[in-house]
Amino acid sequence: MSAQGLRASVAGLAGLPQGGAGVIPDLTAAAFIGAGFGLLFRYQPLAYAATISSGVLYGLLWWILGPLTLAPLLAGRGPTWTLPEASAALPSLVGHVVFGAITGLAFYVFVAAYVRRHSERTPVPDAPVPTTQIVILGGGFGGVSAAQRLEQLLARRPSTSIVLVSQSNYLLFTPMLAEVASSGLEAQHISAPVRAALPHTRFLRGEVEAIDVGGRTVTVRESASATAEMLPYDHLILALGSVPNFYGLPGLAQHAFTLKTLDDATRLRNHIIGLLEAADVERDEKRRRDLLTFVVAGGGFAGTEMVAELFDLVHGVLRYYPRVTPGEARFILVHSGARILPEISPALAEYAQRRLAARGIEFLLNARVAGASADGVRLSGQRRLPTRTLVWTAGNQPHPLLGTVPCDHASSGAVVADATLRVDGLERVWAVGDCAQIPDLNAEGRPCPPTAQHALRQGQVAAENVGAVLAGRAARPFRFRTIGTLVALGHRTAVAEIRGWKFSGFLAWLMWRTVYLSKLPGLEKKVRVALDWAIELFFPRDIVLTGSGPTPTLAQTIGAQRDETAPVASAGPEEGRA
Amino acid sequence: MKSDLWGRGIAAGAFAGLIGGALSAAVLSRLGSLPPTASLVRADAATAGFVLHVALGIVLGAGFGVLVWHQRAGAGETLFWGIAWGALWWFLGPLTLMSLLLLGFLAWDLHSAQEAFPTLLGYLLYGGVTGISLAVIRRERTPTGAARPGALIRGILAGTTGGVFLGVLLDAQGLLSGIPITMGSGLSGWPLIIVSGAVAGGGYALLYPRPPEGTGPGLIRGMVYGFCWWVVGSLIPSVARVVGEAGQAGPVQADFSMLPGYLLFGAATAVLYAWMDGLGRVLFSDMVPPRDTEGVGTEGLRALGRGAVAGLIGGTLFALVIVQIGGLSAMARLVGSTSIWGLIAQVLIAQAVGISYGFLFRRQSYDVGSGLGWGISYGFFWWVLGPLTLAPLFLGSAPRWRVEAAAELFPYLIGHLAFGAALGVTFHLLEARHNPWWIPRSEAEAARVALRREQVLTSAPALWAIVAAIALTLPVLLSR
Repeated sequence: MSAQGLRASVAGLAGLPQGGAGVIPDLTAAAFIGAGFGLLFRYQPLAYAATISSGVLYGLLWWILGPLTLAPLLAGRGPTWTLPEASAALPSLVGHVVFGAITGLAFYVFVAAYVRRHSERTPVPDAPVPTTQIVILGGGFGGVSAAQRLEQLLARRPSTSIVLVSQSNYLLFTPMLAEVASSGLEAQHISAPVRAALPHTRFLRGEVEAIDVGGRTVTVRESASATAEMLPYDHLILALGSVPNFYGLPGLAQHAFTLKTLDDATRLRNHIIGLLEAADVERDEKRRRDLLTFVVAGGGFAGTEMVAELFDLVHGVLRYYPRVTPGEARFILVHSGARILPEISPALAEYAQRRLAARGIEFLLNARVAGASADGVRLSGQRRLPTRTLVWTAGNQPHPLLGTVPCDHASSGAVVADATLRVDGLERVWAVGDCAQIPDLNAEGRPCPPTAQHALRQGQVAAENVGAVLAGRAARPFRFRTIGTLVALGHRTAVAEIRGWKFSGFLAWLMWRTVYLSKLPGLEKKVRVALDWAIELFFPRDIVLTGSGPTPTLAQTIGAQRDETAPVASAGPEEGRA
Repeated sequence: MKSDLWGRGIAAGAFAGLIGGALSAAVLSRLGSLPPTASLVRADAATAGFVLHVALGIVLGAGFGVLVWHQRAGAGETLFWGIAWGALWWFLGPLTLMSLLLLGFLAWDLHSAQEAFPTLLGYLLYGGVTGISLAVIRRERTPTGAARPGALIRGILAGTTGGVFLGVLLDAQGLLSGIPITMGSGLSGWPLIIVSGAVAGGGYALLYPRPPEGTGPGLIRGMVYGFCWWVVGSLIPSVARVVGEAGQAGPVQADFSMLPGYLLFGAATAVLYAWMDGLGRVLFSDMVPPRDTEGVGTEGLRALGRGAVAGLIGGTLFALVIVQIGGLSAMARLVGSTSIWGLIAQVLIAQAVGISYGFLFRRQSYDVGSGLGWGISYGFFWWVLGPLTLAPLFLGSAPRWRVEAAAELFPYLIGHLAFGAALGVTFHLLEARHNPWWIPRSEAEAARVALRREQVLTSAPALWAIVAAIALTLPVLLSR
């Protein structure tokens, strides 16, 4: 039966001209078409009925492709796919159905026999055990983009596993951090959970304790009380980022606010609103002025955006504090250079300074912070600014853990990597982002600037290079030209410099919002931030004070009252948490 | 396992085949079209033919039992396997083996196929009854159990709504009053449509006490379910009429005009049934959500993007077919403009259909083959819904459910199938690009992969083959 069906149908299978063609070309065509079946349905688990009916479907498709399409094409006239033509080709339709059914059945029989023979020797496990492990340290732009690219590259390689270790389980979108501090955006809206962004990566929230380059392991501890976990690696990508650097100045570590994490931003916001609350009840004029003096150290992007946002926050909510007059609030930007925003061209920096100064923000240029205390900031030259708020954006240093990696370090403490992002002297260690000093091939080998756009691309290139090395290919150098710089100045103004083109004012502000909204990871967060912005257009900023204040909880208040009336009452479980 | 398959599979299948054979033989002998089978033993006696038919039914049923023993055992699954099995044997039997044995040549030409068309009815009937019987025999193996009253009510509601839709579309063409009066009931016109809709909807609920996976696959199932009702409700009466008039089985000019209606009705019923069940679950059930859902927002928008891209690629292929057959002007007429606008409208429609495919069939293809299967089935659905139904409606006339219109639009059918194939495959590749979930990387994902692969054990592969066979053979066989 099968022989007859096969031979009779094969002639017209691929629409080859019939008559004169021997059995050999027919069978060759049939073999090729059968191979196509295997290719299409290779992941289909074996089941008689399923394979046979898939075969019939496949045969029917070849009827369209062969007699109805290829045959007229080969005959030199275009296919028309009309019904008369289809009617004329009906014999081969029946043939294709029979051929497909037999192909499916034969496929089943052969593959089942093959699988049976081989499964006896090596049982195929359901979840293959990974043999290669890539460990990424750090969940910032560099680390997450590296993991995402690795997932794409190695999606079809179950033998490779990717592990990402980070202190926080979210990717923080730092450009919007100042807006969180100024109560413009909800804290959680500018952070994307790493687990959601990386479905095929093992995520480990914990602190990296040690990196053993010789033994190719990383020691990670989830919390102080947890046992340490040793993570072996075949390739290690360092993306640990940077931490604030106080240069050992006295009092800064205790009294300065930094802006690195979501907690920092929320703490700062609560602090400012708390000061406004205090100022509203403070009767002493001098002390009220101290409470309302806000100092930002550092005139780079972060500092400039921060001081502008603080200004917007305070003036945006001042209506709720009727005893505070607008003139009492002072905003001071302390910068060591002769002009703010050294990263962008002088004209734009001057514009930014002019706009901010016009609002009443004061600039102390060529000045340095020399120390801080609970009630003031000491500047170089023995000058003192009485304030309760110092925001420190004037210095960062690479993660201190990098000091333990036995390789060349730059003066800043960053590990030195070559243009392919491989750490000098270490075969299987790569470094990206702020924690690495990477030569910029477009700027005669000067180090790449520590920006998010660089970290993002470096992460991708590092992932591609790891993939290349695993596949036995050569790593390619990192080459990227800064696209541009955007600095928001509050009040619907910004300055932007994109590929040498300069923008300022409302247009630049629109660009800032569009660009950063599009870069925000995760669609859901984009929607949330867009909604936050829309709400901000119509409603004032939120002054709800949560968390850090000494206000007792309702349960505690009620518990205290009850204690007063009935002293024998046992303490509630809240007490332990208070 | 092995002895289980060969022993119980053959026994259950043979028993189911006995029922299927007897029932279909009874119907066929009433219609007077048993002789072709009987002529196999050169006996013209009705009894001999009957016995032979039943005997063949038992043998084929045993084979069927073996083949589907490891598939899922619900009635909704084995029904479609049975129909596919029956249809396959129509190709293998009357067209191939019987004519080879009796006449010494392959009866693969159009004339023989049209001549043998009435027996297709018997094979489909046999397959369907055998499939359902097998499900009943294997009942203890299905944990899902019988339909609850809630499901039945939902099914009847969905069927009635589908029936109203169908009635409106039939009424527009003046076909409503011409529906053949089935099974001697006194009903006709609107009451008939609504009652049969309710019955068919209830039947669907009995087949699927729980709606099958996903809205898209449900739609395809519903379409094939509608085809079953076309066989019962339209094909049998028209075969009976021909036999009644001519006194013997001849080439049947079956009622093609009802087929698109039945297909759309089935699809609408299945979709409504699935949605009603989904709505009920969202509102009144506090089930823990499955592990791998990411929420309609995330999944839906992703499906939208992928569907748009896949629709664009499928639309390009479709446009190539349309340009080749010179059909652009017709498209332009639809939008009342020149050909280039017709082409643009075409691509936009293709994209919209692609997006709907993305929503309906997201996470339903586990390899290129299943992407192809769903895509082609969806393409055929849109041929029925688009050129045959909606396009005339937009042009201000009634739907064109006539065999001449289908013949004229056959090139478009090929275009739609090509579109569907490209759409399904592209969508699958896009979906698999970043998230190849058939590779288990952990225990949780291994469970997910197993869940996806479960699809093969349902009747999904049978559905693809049936839809492709309906699409390609019926317009040819029913043409004059």
